[in-house]
Amino acid sequence: MSLAHKGRWITMVGLVCLAGVYVRALAFTPLERLQGPAQKIFYLHVPAALWTEAAMILVGLAGIFYLFLKDPRLDRFAAASAEVGTVFAIVVLTTGPIWGKPIWGTWWTWDARLTSTLFLFFLYVGYLLVRGAVRDPGLRARYAAVLGICGLCLVPFIHLSVFLFRTLHPQPIIVKPSAPSLPGSMLVTWLFSLVAFTLLYVGFVTQRYAVGDSDHA
Amino acid sequence: MPDVPQNAGYMAAAYIVTAVILLGYAISLYRRTAKP
Repeated sequence: MSLAHKGRWITMVGLVCLAGVYVRALAFTPLERLQGPAQKIFYLHVPAALWTEAAMILVGLAGIFYLFLKDPRLDRFAAASAEVGTVFAIVVLTTGPIWGKPIWGTWWTWDARLTSTLFLFFLYVGYLLVRGAVRDPGLRARYAAVLGICGLCLVPFIHLSVFLFRTLHPQPIIVKPSAPSLPGSMLVTWLFSLVAFTLLYVGFVTQRYAVGDSDHA
Repeated sequence: MPDVPQNAGYMAAAYIVTAVILLGYAISLYRRTAKP
């Protein structure tokens, strides 16, 4: 079985799991009394945000190793991870404001978490633009690796921004040193969603890796 | 006890937008990998 076929199968399983998340979240997970139905956006927004950050960490790590080893497979993986990270970042930056409007009363505010996440999205877009603009494969991989390492440095700042600054954005309720402050049924739905997004990330990256830079040639 | 806010429209919008983005990208990748 080719890499593209494997990626397709993983993506299919991920999409089926995501459909399961929709059913579980919308029909079988209790409503949060203060936020109402809008709270259920959390089951999509947070796993997408975690994978947006994780994808950039992997882009940066692949960039570091590429600069030492000059292995083109690392550059190819970084390109795949960056494209998928961009897609997840779009999910984060659309579902976030849709949640913010009913809960905060505004679509957007320039607080540290939101602004730094938007900056991460621009970094992803810049990364893809650089890859599209530079023709020489060696130079393209080197420029892209440096941008990826910049993204890697930004991710911890994004995650800690809610502790470093006074922000409107809620503090973590799951990914934090202490136990998750979420009822069991909601936590199971969230974990199910995290599995679905993980499968989608792996499936998308596998397919994108199989495509490689053929779009470029 | 406070009433539960009536904001299901926002929830539906977020779920639809997410499905459109992810399905759209999945279809785009399918088409790109299916190229001869």
